[in-house]
Amino acid sequence: MGLKKEEKYIYKYEACWSDGNNPLLCLNTGDWRTSRPVINNEICNGCGICMTFCPPQCISIKDDYFLINLGFCKGCGICAKECPKKAITMTQEGDYADDCKI
Amino acid sequence: MAEKLNKLPKVTEYFCDEDQFSPGNACCPGCIMELNLRLVSKIMGKDSILLGTPGCSAPTIHGQNDRAWHKHSYYACVMTGVASSATGLARYYKKAGIDATIVCHTGDGCAQDIGIQTISGAAERNENIIYICYDNEGYMNTGVQRSSATPYGAATSTTPVGLKSIGKTTNSKNMPMIMAMHDIPYVATATLSHLEDYAKKLTKAKEMVKQGFVYLHVFCPCTVGWKVKPDSSITVCRAAVQSNYFPLWEVGNGAYRITQPVAKPKPINEMLKLIGKFNHLKDQEISVLQQQSDNRFSILQALCSIRA
Amino acid sequence: MTARSKNIKVITGNTAAAYAVLRCRPDVVSAYPITPQSELVEQLAKFHADGLLDCEYVAVEGENSAQNVACAAVMAGGRAFTATSSYGLVYMYDTMLQTSGYRAPLVMVNVNREPPGIHAVYSGQQDMICTRDSGWIQIVVENCQEILDTIIMSYRLAEDYDIQLPVMVNYDGYYLSFLAESVDIPEQEDVDRFLAPLKEQPQRMKLVAGAGTGCGSHGIGMGFVEYRKKHMAAMERSKELWDKIDQDFKNEFGRGYGGQIESYRCDDADIVLVATGSAVGTARTVIDAKREQGIKVGLVKLRFFRPFPVEKLCHILKGKKAIGVLDRSICFGWNCGPVFQEVCALTRHIGIMPMLSFIDGLANMDITKEHISGMVDEIYKASQNKPYQELTWLP
Ligand SMILES: Cc1ncc(C[n+]2csc(CCOP(=O)(O)OP(=O)(O)O)c2C)c(N)n1
Ligand code: SF4
Repeated sequence: MGLKKEEKYIYKYEACWSDGNNPLLCLNTGDWRTSRPVINNEICNGCGICMTFCPPQCISIKDDYFLINLGFCKGCGICAKECPKKAITMTQEGDYADDCKI
Repeated sequence: MAEKLNKLPKVTEYFCDEDQFSPGNACCPGCIMELNLRLVSKIMGKDSILLGTPGCSAPTIHGQNDRAWHKHSYYACVMTGVASSATGLARYYKKAGIDATIVCHTGDGCAQDIGIQTISGAAERNENIIYICYDNEGYMNTGVQRSSATPYGAATSTTPVGLKSIGKTTNSKNMPMIMAMHDIPYVATATLSHLEDYAKKLTKAKEMVKQGFVYLHVFCPCTVGWKVKPDSSITVCRAAVQSNYFPLWEVGNGAYRITQPVAKPKPINEMLKLIGKFNHLKDQEISVLQQQSDNRFSILQALCSIRA
Repeated sequence: MTARSKNIKVITGNTAAAYAVLRCRPDVVSAYPITPQSELVEQLAKFHADGLLDCEYVAVEGENSAQNVACAAVMAGGRAFTATSSYGLVYMYDTMLQTSGYRAPLVMVNVNREPPGIHAVYSGQQDMICTRDSGWIQIVVENCQEILDTIIMSYRLAEDYDIQLPVMVNYDGYYLSFLAESVDIPEQEDVDRFLAPLKEQPQRMKLVAGAGTGCGSHGIGMGFVEYRKKHMAAMERSKELWDKIDQDFKNEFGRGYGGQIESYRCDDADIVLVATGSAVGTARTVIDAKREQGIKVGLVKLRFFRPFPVEKLCHILKGKKAIGVLDRSICFGWNCGPVFQEVCALTRHIGIMPMLSFIDGLANMDITKEHISGMVDEIYKASQNKPYQELTWLP
């Protein structure tokens, strides 16, 4: 009668608690991308507008340039559309098929 | 080049923390609700507590089993109980002498429909909480159904366009104005094309919440539900502001102010044509929307002139 | 017995509940008025206004919010209280499921009243039955003193580190809520001492700003299953602990209620009547009278309804010749009373015997001595292998 008291449990909490100090959940959203943003550093004037509007906030400053983290860029194209200098072009992801090392 | 990178957009000056969210989360490509969350995270700071509810922000705010999508503390609520759960937290922390910024982040469906009673109640009690409603004009998470924020004429899955239907046949609720009429310390509208304006309002919200209830209404197009190209959501926001369809204003302690006045408002059609859910509208219906938008704007102008 | 008892007042059940809450020092009280609970909310508001009750008193705009406020306050680490009845209870049902799922140790009073359907501002336990599978511990009490004592004990149970479950204390509307009885109100320091062991326990999880703790993550796959299992295990553990708390309470205050159930003259009884709530008092008198007539009848007062006191009941009911169950509510679909149906489920442990369901006292209809006497006669008939009626509606 009743439940066994000594159960082997996977989680340490009694109820649905999560801990932000554990490694965060993360999707490889870069895999969703069908077009890839490419920044032309010659034209870029460093205004940072692309960086602020990027929904996953995956554009960062690297040395003197902006760098897009392709691991998480979903390819929405907002950066290219908002860039006042039109320094970003969206290119077909298929064009990079050769880069894939399978 | 180092020199040119020094002049980053001003919005970054308002950041008091890093973005606490995981780099890869489940929002659709081009969904600026994600941008909204990250901005809120940066400006409210790591120590703020987020409250979420079922909706598109739920998969981003609430974790899975013992793992989380971000480093904020958060509390998951039922759709009917966001502002009241926030009340519970705020009141306990007050009693215990703990300082905490409590930020509710829900969609319009929760804020204006099923949860409006608790928001109104919490506002009337003037609880010390910040309520951010991202307005994507519908229940997006359940498959783009109409909500009370869905405007006249919009096609959604429960107001479909058909031989005998032009989409939704009634107007949306003017939710920010409803909240303003609660006479709470601070109400503002914001959108993500005007990040600096929004950042200022978030910063102000953080200050004003010490006096009581703060409500921010954020225009937040949904690329999937509105049939907007993923790269165009910011453009749509801008067009909404420039046509006075979604004016940016704030009211603090009774003083109304338009924060981004538009010198020459564009016709609303400029915005509508960017959005697929309005594609079927004819001139007559567009003029109804234009009329409604003008009416709302003139009420706002009248309120702004009271103390000007 | 260490506590002094001297502070006797003639008060209603609602007021007794308010005194219990006052003594338990909650951090947050949120409630919305509803007949027949309103007096309790008003009393707490008055305590708060007079500076006696040092808490955040949240006068919410509906029961749904009352439950949300209380649940969140508990998850943040506080002690909270709320109270409701009938429509109010079902209006907070969505969040009640959250409260128990989050394992929030909240104590709530539900003043039993007939719930929605056909309008009735009358006593009846159907509201409690509507929420029986919500994962809450549900306790039913008999008189005003027991209301007060049970609320105090409930905090010990709910907040115990091994339990962490919400507790609903039920008492009959009108019959108890507005009945004035003499009640011994314990001293503050005695109650503080009684609740002090909670402070020595490990800290339960709480929502802390900046700590990255998240309350209410999606239970995915095995996570969900595991939390359900843990919830159920805690429910099971609560039975034994409740008996112990009852004993502790008796040692401290001199009043005990038998824990999960109270059995009255059952040891040598051939037949037993199972009852809950305020009707038990009447039943006791009838049992005594029947004993004098030579009928060997006993009485079981069910205090725990969820979890169901399976072991205790089996121990008492095993070998009896017939069992009757008095319900103040109905069980749709089974054509009987809900408690009756639960008692029937014991047959797999205690074997088959005649079992009789009596539905009485709906919508403030009095459960009279005559009614109960008739019940006992019918149970007796069944025990003599005579034909009997399985379901009887009274009056
Ligand atoms: C009480 C309740 N009713 C219905 C649902 C189903 N539901 C889940 S998300 C959702 C829509 C939420 O809309 P909104 O708040 O606008 O957020 P969005 O999805 O647009 O981000 C609904 C109706 C629910 N979770 N709870
Ligand atoms: S459905 Fe719309 S609101 Fe929801 S995540 Fe996708 S784009 Fe954003």
